[in-house]
Amino acid sequence: MSKKYEAIIYKDGERYFHRFSAHQRVQHVVLFTSVITLALTGFPLRHAEESWAKPLYNFMGGPDIAPLIHRAAGTVLLGLFVYHTIYWISLFYKNHLLKLKQENRLTVKNAFLEIFNLEMMPNKKDLYDIIHLWKYLLYFTNRPPRHERMSWREKFDYFAPYWGIPILGPAGVALWWRDELSHYVPGIVLNAAYIMHTDEALLAVLFLFFVHWYNVHYAPEKFPAATVWLTGYLNEHDMIHEHYNEYIRVMIENGLEHEIKPQNFAGKDYEW
Amino acid sequence: MKCCFQIHLKHHLLSIIIGILFSSPVYSGDELNCVLCHKHRGLSRIDENGKFRLFYINQELFESGPHRRNKCKDCHTDIDRIPHKAANKVDCTQECHIVEPSGQKKFSHKSVAKTLASSVHGKLDKDGLPKEHQEDYPNCKNCHDQPLYRPLSAFKGNLIPGVSARAMGRCKSCHKNGDFAEDFYDHVTTRLHKTRFAKETVQVCAKCHQNKEFRERHKLDDVITTYKETFHGKLMILGSEKTPDCLDCHIVAGENSHLIESKDVLTSAVHKNNVSTTCRTSECHENAGPMLAGFQTHVTYDREKYPLQFYMLVFFKALMALVLYFFLALIFLELLRRLFPSFTFIKEKKHEDYHEYVKLIKDKDQHNQ
Repeated sequence: MSKKYEAIIYKDGERYFHRFSAHQRVQHVVLFTSVITLALTGFPLRHAEESWAKPLYNFMGGPDIAPLIHRAAGTVLLGLFVYHTIYWISLFYKNHLLKLKQENRLTVKNAFLEIFNLEMMPNKKDLYDIIHLWKYLLYFTNRPPRHERMSWREKFDYFAPYWGIPILGPAGVALWWRDELSHYVPGIVLNAAYIMHTDEALLAVLFLFFVHWYNVHYAPEKFPAATVWLTGYLNEHDMIHEHYNEYIRVMIENGLEHEIKPQNFAGKDYEW
Repeated sequence: MKCCFQIHLKHHLLSIIIGILFSSPVYSGDELNCVLCHKHRGLSRIDENGKFRLFYINQELFESGPHRRNKCKDCHTDIDRIPHKAANKVDCTQECHIVEPSGQKKFSHKSVAKTLASSVHGKLDKDGLPKEHQEDYPNCKNCHDQPLYRPLSAFKGNLIPGVSARAMGRCKSCHKNGDFAEDFYDHVTTRLHKTRFAKETVQVCAKCHQNKEFRERHKLDDVITTYKETFHGKLMILGSEKTPDCLDCHIVAGENSHLIESKDVLTSAVHKNNVSTTCRTSECHENAGPMLAGFQTHVTYDREKYPLQFYMLVFFKALMALVLYFFLALIFLELLRRLFPSFTFIKEKKHEDYHEYVKLIKDKDQHNQ
């Protein structure tokens, strides 16, 4: 678990920057496998009247089997959610709280403030980056934003499931255990669960299909597919493009300050 | 009738050939040889009201229907000669010549008609006065256009559609007349499950209840569309046989299926005091608590009637629009930006060399440490 990764590795004369550990990559595989399974067994039901729904539903097992697959995949996803929460809390303890302890600064206030130093935590820099990006996209500047280790887009991609699962999951569980639940809560809760489950699912799937898959599949430099989710390492070109500040930092830390390349976009160097 | 006509159009040639070969009556009930004329597909006329009337009898369909053992004259009592004049409408409540085996009485649908009259679909209100819009209330044929038999066979614990040869073998050991045994087999086993698929039942109800003008006349919600939005309805569309259709919830368990009552009637299956019993019948949500009845089935997302659902829907739609429009606009502009990566309206202040930026970051990091 605590395998040390090289920050920069070389392959075929190209530089690659470490992004994700094997542990994180496995979690991602479990995440997308269960989400795709859930979508394939859930959406034919949501859109039952569409012509594609019945063949797809029958392919996924039909009215008798598809719900079982859907519930199994949902259980895996909820399990992953719990597991990931334990995972980041343990990382937070190891990398942040222990450090505070060693420095004898571990107070409740400091521990709380330390949460905002987590790399996935949205911060002021992200807000500036979003504003800067819009300035860039509307031609008010010719310099693309320079992101840190996690760009605001990645944070959004991360928090999409992290807030989506707590909405979708309990609602799905309520619809699954509706009979047992009806001993304790009024039936209208199931109406609410139904809307929460189906509408949040639509948002999640549309977001994944259009936005996340644009980021990792359709974008010209990624097409047909990015490889970082498999290898854990990002090539130098994309690193410069997506995480310029982090790129500079890692290069300096590894004594490669003189080899830092200028920022570029769409194959053109940014003119300083 | 129109639909049957189309389905059997492909047998057109076949039936002509059969018709030529066997011009004698094909089915047993046709003592008067009515089929001699009514086998012709074009047998039709425009009646006094200008309505097109088709008099063709699809024998194959008739043979598979529930009235196959009735003689034509059992129902069309006013016809006594051939060729005949315009016949009266068949009265389903009259006694026919079939003798009901349990009581040795002539059979009649009178009791069913009585039940229907006392249901929400009856033409008279509880004071015996005609309800408004008489023409909207159904008679037998509005729902029973052509109920087909769906016999059921059970073998080693599996329920299979169709006539079971094994079961028939047992009938035939006494009842040498195979036709009679098969009729009874059909009669009983088709009543052990639904005569129609859930989809067909919903279609029958939808004929009126999905009609916009009809709903406005009677101030009714679109119960068909709202049913289709529930999991019950979605599974119906996807072909599940286990999912409940309209009749399963709107008829008290064990009651005559013609007794659909308004939700305001105390004995109705969907009266607010009875919903929990209806939902929790043994074949459905039997382990559920009584509060399951609070689940709202026919949700129209009307702001006054269903405020919770209305505002939740608005919230999710707004959220979806916000997130997707934001990102889709962003993606579109970013793809466009790739064509002009260095164009800008406002030139930024001449930047320091990027090496200086590197130094800036370096200093900042050192400062943080």
